[in-house]
Amino acid sequence: MSRKAKNAIGTTIRVIVLVFFFLLVVLPIYWIVITSFKTSGEILDVNNLTFFPKTFTWQNYTDLFEQFNYGVLLKNSLLVSIASALVVTVFSMLGGYSLARYKFNGKQAVVLFFLITQMIPGILVIIPLYIIFSKMGLINTHIGLFIYYVTVNLPFCVITMRSFFERIPITLEEAARVDGCTKMQSLFKIVFPIMFPGIVSVFVFGFIGAWNELIAGSIFISTPEMWTIPVGLKTLIGKYNVEWGLLMAGGVMALLPTALMFAAMQKFIVEGMTAGAVKE
Amino acid sequence: MKKRILAALMAATMVAGLLAGCGSSSKDSSKDSKKGDGKATLRFIDVSPSPERQKYYENVFAKFEDETGVAVKYESVPWDDAADKLTVLGSSGQLPDVITTHPLWLGQFTEADWVLPIDDYVEKNGDQFVDAVQKINWAQEKERYGHVYSVPDGFMVKGIFYRKDWVKEIGYEIPTGKDWTYDAYFDLIKALTDKDKKRYGNSFRGARGAFDPLLAYLQSFTGGYVYDEEGNFILNTPECVEAVEKWCEIYKDGYVPEDSVNWGFVEMVDNFTGGLTGTISNDSEVAKACEEKMDPETWGVLPMPVSTVDGKMMNTAGSPYSYTIAKSSEYPDEALQLIDFLVRADNNIEYCKMGGLIPIKKDVGDDETYGEDGPYGVFLDELNDPNFTVPPMYGPFNYTDLHQDMFHTELQKYLLGQQSAEDVLNHIGDELTTRMKQYLADNEGSTIETPKTMQ
Amino acid sequence: MKKKMEPWLFLLPVLVILLLLFGYPLINSFIMAFQNYKLTAPNDIHFNGLDNFAKLVGDPDGLMILKNSFVYVIVSVLGQFLLGMTLAVALKKQFKGRGIYQSIVFLPWAFSGFVVGLIFRWSFNGEYGVVNNLLEKFGLIDKNIAWLGTPGFSLAVVIIAMIWMGIPFFAIMILAALQSIPTDVYEAADVDGCGTIRQFFQITLPYIKPTLITTVLLRTIWIFNSLDLVVIITDGGPANTSQTLPAYMYSKAFGSYDFGFAAALGVILMVILGIYAMAFLKLTKYDKAGDF
Repeated sequence: MSRKAKNAIGTTIRVIVLVFFFLLVVLPIYWIVITSFKTSGEILDVNNLTFFPKTFTWQNYTDLFEQFNYGVLLKNSLLVSIASALVVTVFSMLGGYSLARYKFNGKQAVVLFFLITQMIPGILVIIPLYIIFSKMGLINTHIGLFIYYVTVNLPFCVITMRSFFERIPITLEEAARVDGCTKMQSLFKIVFPIMFPGIVSVFVFGFIGAWNELIAGSIFISTPEMWTIPVGLKTLIGKYNVEWGLLMAGGVMALLPTALMFAAMQKFIVEGMTAGAVKE
Repeated sequence: MKKRILAALMAATMVAGLLAGCGSSSKDSSKDSKKGDGKATLRFIDVSPSPERQKYYENVFAKFEDETGVAVKYESVPWDDAADKLTVLGSSGQLPDVITTHPLWLGQFTEADWVLPIDDYVEKNGDQFVDAVQKINWAQEKERYGHVYSVPDGFMVKGIFYRKDWVKEIGYEIPTGKDWTYDAYFDLIKALTDKDKKRYGNSFRGARGAFDPLLAYLQSFTGGYVYDEEGNFILNTPECVEAVEKWCEIYKDGYVPEDSVNWGFVEMVDNFTGGLTGTISNDSEVAKACEEKMDPETWGVLPMPVSTVDGKMMNTAGSPYSYTIAKSSEYPDEALQLIDFLVRADNNIEYCKMGGLIPIKKDVGDDETYGEDGPYGVFLDELNDPNFTVPPMYGPFNYTDLHQDMFHTELQKYLLGQQSAEDVLNHIGDELTTRMKQYLADNEGSTIETPKTMQ
Repeated sequence: MKKKMEPWLFLLPVLVILLLLFGYPLINSFIMAFQNYKLTAPNDIHFNGLDNFAKLVGDPDGLMILKNSFVYVIVSVLGQFLLGMTLAVALKKQFKGRGIYQSIVFLPWAFSGFVVGLIFRWSFNGEYGVVNNLLEKFGLIDKNIAWLGTPGFSLAVVIIAMIWMGIPFFAIMILAALQSIPTDVYEAADVDGCGTIRQFFQITLPYIKPTLITTVLLRTIWIFNSLDLVVIITDGGPANTSQTLPAYMYSKAFGSYDFGFAAALGVILMVILGIYAMAFLKLTKYDKAGDF
């Protein structure tokens, strides 16, 4: 087979694969968006499923803001998620560097401990933490939630950060040291800039981990004006019925900030890891 | 450039930490205010929040503060997580002063000694409350836990919601009085089913809570009892087995949607208000959802069917929630005052209208909503029916774990053909008998709970 | 001396936080697992040996739940891994609009499990769900399927939802690793006449192996431990046929207030995961590298 024909086949397969994933993601999202613009009567009309709203309404969105204080929920969620993601990012840069670059006694134990923290069922952590937090006056504060999110997201981010460091040849750092840089200088001037995309990814991991968390949010926070988005959305499931329209509108609004962040950061996540920069 | 971004990141981290601090200014204010000017601030938790409810409570709390000087802080938790949250709060000694609780949870609360009895209040003020509260709610609590612990938020009665328009359309005559039995109910379900029109006869419930309405049906064969005097489960007679078979026949023969084997509350109600199913047996609370989502001409309410044995109408009436006081409260007197205020006639009427309930105070006067022709007419009729009987539930012990798993799982296994109807009752019966006997042995002098009537 | 302290210094913030906030709960749950620890009986807490563990063995649905958990984890991880890898490979080469494309296909990862769970539960509703509706329109079925009411199908819906959510995560991790493979390695292979498929197995896979191992390992643990999708979509039904161990544990812990039993289930979970992690690392020979 000629090289050209091979390439053509390759391209075709690739296009099919890309279209498949596109539809896989877009169809459910289309369904959510379209449902959020329907009236509740149309949503629950079992005899007539519509793929586009018969009566287009913004009602669900206005209700979300006016009755459910969506603005406040958004502010709370952004605050806690950004703050915890930043701290997670910085701490895991330090920890990841240590695990990637040093050989020391107890390293295995540390990594093992990180792994174990991931195995503890959440519920066994939340109850004792509640007691500790309540003694420290951290219940119904965003600080308590912030601490919890930092804790649960750290182990994974440290391990991920380590693998990012490992991909950067140690020779680069050594070269900088030979040129007279201190360790910190070589880190800031050489290493961090190269792995900037990795740093961004870890930030995104930390952010999403906090953004979508529900159980701790509803256990540690008690007053509606302190709720995060997932907790607020959960109240749309009542004892007797689900407010589908509102819930879908809420889902769209919860997704928007992260979608924007993806759009802004995706180029770092992928393009930054260019081959050239890391060549040995 | 990138370096600068990084430096900024680091700096932002510090700022973010501080920000998180500022943002959470409404820190446990209850604690701070406790030792202030000597005035109490009560904490109150709502387990079924909605914007409407929050507004109601905040209004009432403002009025309460005006009248008594006691401030109340409104806390809430989504219904789905409420039981879990209260468990965490209770086990760490942090329960709010006044708790809205679900009747199913009260058993654990009393067992764990988290709540205060209010017998004195009931004795002093009991006659202000309607008979149903005294003869049902409080009588049950006293029998189950030895004391009264809570004041109901309203009263609800079970009924069968049905599609008036469908019945008219097929020209069906629904039997009344003594003829309105479970068999008649099943016939109605079958008659309403028309799969070509995408109509099913009933919103069947197979998931959590599935056994509860069936229990009432089974109790109609034993006058309402679940156990004999020694604590043996008695709902496994051949008649009961046959009843389970009939109950499930409407599922097995396709008169209800196939996936209703895994339906919970939400699906039942959604499918009725959405027009897929013709009947739903449930609390008067559901009237609220029907009023909101359906044309008033299309739906109506039927009383619960009566027993073929003695004509009694088993109706697990009760309250959606009730107010109770945490034992750990520093202000039990003010907490009780707040509860009394919440159920004061004017506040209670407003609350009940919001939630589709019947008020619990006698002096509701002649509010039209609760008149003969109002939407709650059938429910009030039921309450006045001499055959109206509220049977006991599964027992005075903690059965939440069974309620979350075994009860409906056993039934589902029969619905899916994995075991017989007899197995269902035997498995559940064995477990309940064990627990009941254990309870009787542990609590000397306790007796088997009796069915309650309004007589 | 200073040199020796350096790695610990870097690790200090992480270790302090984790030891403080995970350490105590961890030790606590190991102790509780061997205690009669009921929240409803705070004055009757005592050691009871292996009673809590015996309770699990006696559970008639115990084996089925364990089997469900394994099916759920294995199929989900495998599905996410294969699909995520496919997506990553397809995305590796630059094309016009890749940026926008990426920010769209990675979106499921940004959804909360709670919202995804509800959407799937609702879409797979047997009577008015959009899935049955579409299948019927395309003539693939002529009678509604009761997805959530049929043993097997209900677990399948949970797994589909889990895979849908998890593809982007794998794709991102793998893509990042793929991008770090120097192009000259491929150029050299091309010169040597190495075919695409051979290149994939001989260059690409070994190169991204560390990423794959970490991702698969962590993902398995997370999926095993996650319960929101199960609870929201099927709540374990019908008849426990889609129940998994953590979801079961959660409902037992809160349903019966029996935290001794819940802790015992938790310990079993940790042991299973621990054995898995060790076996996985041994089999992939990752431990030899001195990394784990």
